[in-house]
Amino acid sequence: MHILVIEDDREHSEFIENVLTGAGHSVESVGQGDEGLLRARSKDFDALIVDRMLPEKSGLRMVQEFRSGGGVTPALFLSALSEVDHRVEGLEAGGDDYLAKPFAPAELIARVEALGRRHSQNETPVTILKVGDLEMDLLARKVVREDTIIDLQPREFKLLEFLMRHAGQTVTRTMLLEKVWNYHFDPQTNVIDVHISRLRSKIDKEFDRQLLQTVRGAGYCLEG
Amino acid sequence: MPRGLKSGPLAFVWTTTFRLALVYAVLFALFSAGMLAYFYTATVGAMRSETIVRLESELQTLAVAWNSGGPERLEQSLLERAFVRVRDFTYQFETGAGDIIIGDLPRMPVDTSTVLAEPQSVTFEIERARPGGDPNISTIEGRILRLGDGSILLVGIKMDERIMLVSRVTRAVATAAPIGIILALIGGYFSSRYAARRAEGLSRIAEAVMGGDLSQRADIGETGDEFDRLSERLNAMLTRLERLMASTRHAGEAIAHDLRSPLSRLRNRLEATMSLPLDKETAEDTLEQTIVEIDQLLATFNAILRLSRVNEASTAKFSMVNLSELAEEMAELFEPACEDSELSFSAQISPDIGICGDRALLAQAVSNILDNSIKYTPPGGEIALELSRGSDGLSIMVRDSGPGISVDDRDRVKQRFVRLDEARTQPGSGLGLALVDAVAELHHGKLVLGSSVQDDPGSGLLVTLKLP
Repeated sequence: MHILVIEDDREHSEFIENVLTGAGHSVESVGQGDEGLLRARSKDFDALIVDRMLPEKSGLRMVQEFRSGGGVTPALFLSALSEVDHRVEGLEAGGDDYLAKPFAPAELIARVEALGRRHSQNETPVTILKVGDLEMDLLARKVVREDTIIDLQPREFKLLEFLMRHAGQTVTRTMLLEKVWNYHFDPQTNVIDVHISRLRSKIDKEFDRQLLQTVRGAGYCLEG
Repeated sequence: MPRGLKSGPLAFVWTTTFRLALVYAVLFALFSAGMLAYFYTATVGAMRSETIVRLESELQTLAVAWNSGGPERLEQSLLERAFVRVRDFTYQFETGAGDIIIGDLPRMPVDTSTVLAEPQSVTFEIERARPGGDPNISTIEGRILRLGDGSILLVGIKMDERIMLVSRVTRAVATAAPIGIILALIGGYFSSRYAARRAEGLSRIAEAVMGGDLSQRADIGETGDEFDRLSERLNAMLTRLERLMASTRHAGEAIAHDLRSPLSRLRNRLEATMSLPLDKETAEDTLEQTIVEIDQLLATFNAILRLSRVNEASTAKFSMVNLSELAEEMAELFEPACEDSELSFSAQISPDIGICGDRALLAQAVSNILDNSIKYTPPGGEIALELSRGSDGLSIMVRDSGPGISVDDRDRVKQRFVRLDEARTQPGSGLGLALVDAVAELHHGKLVLGSSVQDDPGSGLLVTLKLP
């Protein structure tokens, strides 16, 4: 992926650059909102990473202007302000995701990759999701693997749907709690892991090939 | 000394109280003067005109007597009057040449050369010798008239006693007014000294606090006046501030303490690994352990940040939260985790309970309570989540069959970084319940710790989040 980082703190921007290039992405960075806006408009990036607190033009305003100018590149806000209402503000300004500092590198990579995927999906409505021999019918709300119908609880269905939409990508526990449960907090215990292991026992237990993988120190990945 | 504040012996002049006293004194003086003027004209003026009417009518009666019977008749009338024992009037009847025909006075008290046939008003004084004292001086109000043959008739009346009384009252009030003004100023001086002294006391406290001494407290008098109330508030504020400062200091020390041991452990492990011949497996193991530990450190940092965020949060961004739905979702989220830890989980959630609050924080609070119960309840136990509405508000209750918390420790565990000895073996930051407490406070609620079976701390922990 080709990613534009707009962050005024040099050290922090270098850190992000290292993390993302380490994950195989190409990164450009700028330090100011105006410059970022110009660059974002002139080139086709797969994702923008925008610090909310920029000198002069704030990240919030930058993305707002970018959106009102017709820019569609997905944007991830970085901020030290982790309050939910700030998150809402960020999403209302046209951001697609919100990540509070400090964050784990894996979290950043997972979220940026999830953004890029959304971008490339191009809004075509999908009714069937397929990962390997696992198939999900979104309309009939049915999941089938090798002709075996898999019976899922509503939340398990949602969880699997999210994993399938992001097949091949690492998703973190926080992302799952946010996107599947719609809660923004840190559970202290392994609540998400237990849900995953339940889901795993339903979709993988009877089969040779394990689709749902644990990514150590990061989260999970569904791979066909 | 800040600009505008005066010091020295005249400092009281600049106090609000003294300036008010001054304004009142001036107003009092103006009012007294006005009142006196009115009182004087209203009473003295009225009495004087009444007297003049009486004088006039007496003069006319006598003039009629002269007209009908000449000087003899007039003299006769005056003689008759002379025998009345108590009388108001003084008479004097003289010829045109100045010889007394009949009269009370040794001589005409006024110059008669200008007296005309029309009655005129005159005022004069007469002296009456008193035995063994100063002569009694009376002011006489008179009407004087020149009769047809050129003779002069004067009728006078002694100023009414009432007028004298009024004059005396007026004089008394006029004397008293300055005394009143002086008293007002003295009162103003003392009350402004009191106000200045109290204000000075308060500003000294403020100065001490600015200098870093939070232990200072303002004196509180017994009158319960506005200064006492202000002092009480100030003291309460200082107490809260002092507690906050202490807790911040405590938190800082606790953070340092809590983070130092895992960091040094980390460092030691890395150093030990470095001294070994590095094969891939050892390196991976060490790195993985290191990452786990660092993640725990990060989690602690996040918990600290979250806690301070809650402490600073305002209720301004609250919105309606469906608490029943939230509790259902929490139950759904945690049920598998309970099962995984071999705990039986049950939930009893009253429907349609809503509250104005912060959804994420409330969820975090419930999650922290459930986390705790799962961590400390041994396998085979049970955990119950309950949401109900009672007469005293809403309660979110989590009951477990774990070891519970002894009565003495219940308040302590709500503080930051307090971890009971039993909990040292479990991962955790010691911030979980502190956060729940902060969330409860933000929602004007309360965190109450009890035991699953009343008065039996061994029966498990009952955590109640009481919300209004």
